[in-house]
Amino acid sequence: MMTTLWLAVVLLCLVMYVVLDGYDLGIGVATLFERDDDRRRSMLELVAVAWDGNETWLVLLGVGLWAGFPVAFGALLPHAYLPLTVMLLALAIRGVAVEMVSQRPPGHGWVRAFGVASLVAAFALGFTLGTLAVPIVLVNGIPAGGPAAFTWFSVLTGLVFTVGCTALGFGHLVHKLSGEHRRTAARGGLAASVLAAALFVAVLAASGVTEAPLDLATPGRVAALVGLLAFVAGGAIAAVVGFARAARHDRPDRLPTMALAVSVVAAFLSLVAAHYPYFAPGLTVQAAVGPHNTLVFLLIGIGLNIPLVLGYNVFAHHAFRGREHTEATEERTVA
Amino acid sequence: MSLLDLSRWQFAITVMFHMTFPAITVGLAIFLSIVYGMYWRTQNPSYLQMFRFWRRIFAVGFAIGVVAGTVITFQMGLNWGVFGARTGAIIGPIIGMEVVTAFFVEAGFIGVMLYGDGRVGHRTMFIATVMVAIGTILSSTWIIAANSWMQTPAGFQVVNGFFEPTDWLQVIFNPSFIWRWPHMLAAVLISASFFIAGIAAWYLIKNRSVRFAKQSLSIALGVAAVLMPLQLFLGDQVGGHVLGAQLSKLEAVEGNWQSGNTSFVLFAIPDQETARNIAQLDVPCLGSYILKDLSCSSAPPGLDATPVADQPSMAATFWGFRVMFLGAVLMFSVAFVATTLRLRGRLWSSRRFHRVVLIAAPAGILATLGGWVTAEAGRQPWVVFGYLRTADAVSQLSPPEVVFSVVGFSLLYLFLLVAYIAYVVHTVRVGPERDDPRRPPEPTPGADGVGVAALDGVAIPLDEDGEVTLR
Repeated sequence: MMTTLWLAVVLLCLVMYVVLDGYDLGIGVATLFERDDDRRRSMLELVAVAWDGNETWLVLLGVGLWAGFPVAFGALLPHAYLPLTVMLLALAIRGVAVEMVSQRPPGHGWVRAFGVASLVAAFALGFTLGTLAVPIVLVNGIPAGGPAAFTWFSVLTGLVFTVGCTALGFGHLVHKLSGEHRRTAARGGLAASVLAAALFVAVLAASGVTEAPLDLATPGRVAALVGLLAFVAGGAIAAVVGFARAARHDRPDRLPTMALAVSVVAAFLSLVAAHYPYFAPGLTVQAAVGPHNTLVFLLIGIGLNIPLVLGYNVFAHHAFRGREHTEATEERTVA
Repeated sequence: MSLLDLSRWQFAITVMFHMTFPAITVGLAIFLSIVYGMYWRTQNPSYLQMFRFWRRIFAVGFAIGVVAGTVITFQMGLNWGVFGARTGAIIGPIIGMEVVTAFFVEAGFIGVMLYGDGRVGHRTMFIATVMVAIGTILSSTWIIAANSWMQTPAGFQVVNGFFEPTDWLQVIFNPSFIWRWPHMLAAVLISASFFIAGIAAWYLIKNRSVRFAKQSLSIALGVAAVLMPLQLFLGDQVGGHVLGAQLSKLEAVEGNWQSGNTSFVLFAIPDQETARNIAQLDVPCLGSYILKDLSCSSAPPGLDATPVADQPSMAATFWGFRVMFLGAVLMFSVAFVATTLRLRGRLWSSRRFHRVVLIAAPAGILATLGGWVTAEAGRQPWVVFGYLRTADAVSQLSPPEVVFSVVGFSLLYLFLLVAYIAYVVHTVRVGPERDDPRRPPEPTPGADGVGVAALDGVAIPLDEDGEVTLR
């Protein structure tokens, strides 16, 4: 019971991270498609106020896994050593790039570095998720290491993750920007959403030939998977409709972001539902879980802090809500 | 070089690089809270100017600290997967507490602190700044708790090679935490004070923004004057604790291979292979005095009292300690002279002293790094002192992977360090004048590009604010 509860907290961190940092990584990728320097800077400004909070979910995801499932942490990270190392390098560059550009205006190199590092980080993280299809070897419960877990499947998960983040990024831009810039973002979002959906179908199909096929052994699992996939599809369709609408009208529009968030969360949960209780082949939740005393501490100490943490996130986003910043900038340009 | 050595170097480089930034930003966050609080109360624009200028130095340093800190967390699993698996049930929850009580607090309020000026009220600004400062302090607290547990493990049992908590209060408030926590907190506050004082002294030497420089220098050296004597006391307490709990570390700090030397070894070039010092410079009887024996007959124990298999590297431990200790002596002297000059009313006129303060700007940071080298190298060959050897904690990786990450992270950190120093130099050269809310907005593009950026409609909130306030 406590194991399940803590697993739920870890999964919450995972989906929070993917949805939140997904959009700011996606905005980074989107800057690569933007030629206009002013527009790139205003896109980067949207990330500046939020990237730190968004990325903290990744840290809590890592630490939550470490604290509650120490063996999984000790086995899965070396398993994906290179992609995770590349991801960390890229995240470091992009975090510093954001502050450098904000604090010190003349910095074209940093704007470009931000875009490229966002792309690399997203792909590397997606690639890492693909390594979960490669078996883990434990000796006396201790991770034994092994050859690097690179497969073509990781390339596929890397692509779907990158394109999905890009769609989320465009969704956020559609909500925050205005004018022609916004219409461009809507067209980009439309393309990215369709491509991400197609790639996700490819991942589902391809997972059958990996060592971690979808587990459809019981009717309950099939029902859960079908139900979640219905949300994935519904969210994707709503996002496509939303982006198409946003490309025509100039009104703040939350629909694409919300629809994509639903779709992405459902996509992750569907993969969890189809693989539970395995983190990766050869590594179950039960084999990885820490002692009773630790779970009690975690559920009280960290579990009770989660609502507060969500509160800080809301505060951070609320303090800079709406499109006031872009408008203020436009006002100044006119003046 | 073995896989273990590579992983150790990688970790050492990462934590040293990371530590450089909290050493500045924890103290700066507190300094900024005080300065903004003063501004809020008095509405004196000088304080707003100070807040804005030092915030520029803080902002980028904080970001670098965050990204390097993220790397550390993941390296616990990447390079030290066996350590991660064996100790995760104890270290994991402590770092988890750091994430929820510190990282998220900082992340939630840093946006407002950095970009909220002119967009949110004074009260919100003040609360955000204080919350960021509290976050940085809590962060140091949890980190010291985790690291101290690795130095003096308590409140646990080992089951099949896995560490399991039995008493969380003992785990967190473990024996060495009690002294190391205030020691560390004082260290980062002093480091930030000297960093601020050094930059302020440069303005005094250049005769620029003198009022701003005097105010900053006055606060910084005042804090240093109070904390330096306290820090010498706290450091002595930590040393006394190490004597009781980690004798091998103390032996390496002292620099004697054999017991019986009543002198204090000031400099030495230790050679671990032959277990002797290639060169050595002693101060007679001082070793005995430090043990509180004025008869010059007590001697600190030599490293030969510890079996060879359990000996730390004497060179790293010895020199880490010397850097910290000599830095502390230098900083104590500067703080002492500053107080004397202030009482005589000559603090603002002594150019020579200002130059000393400028040179001493990185002293606190270097001393803090030296202290960490002492603590970590001196704990070897253990990762959990007495229970888990570092060699048994490392991930089984292929050498090319580790070489790639060592090279990648080293280049990244070198690049970021150079970029940060260039950024600080640039910011200092541009100066605090642009942050003065009393200054009228410039109608023409500025030479440093600030005006250009503001004119072509790009959002650069920090520079807009001054104008927003004046409107």
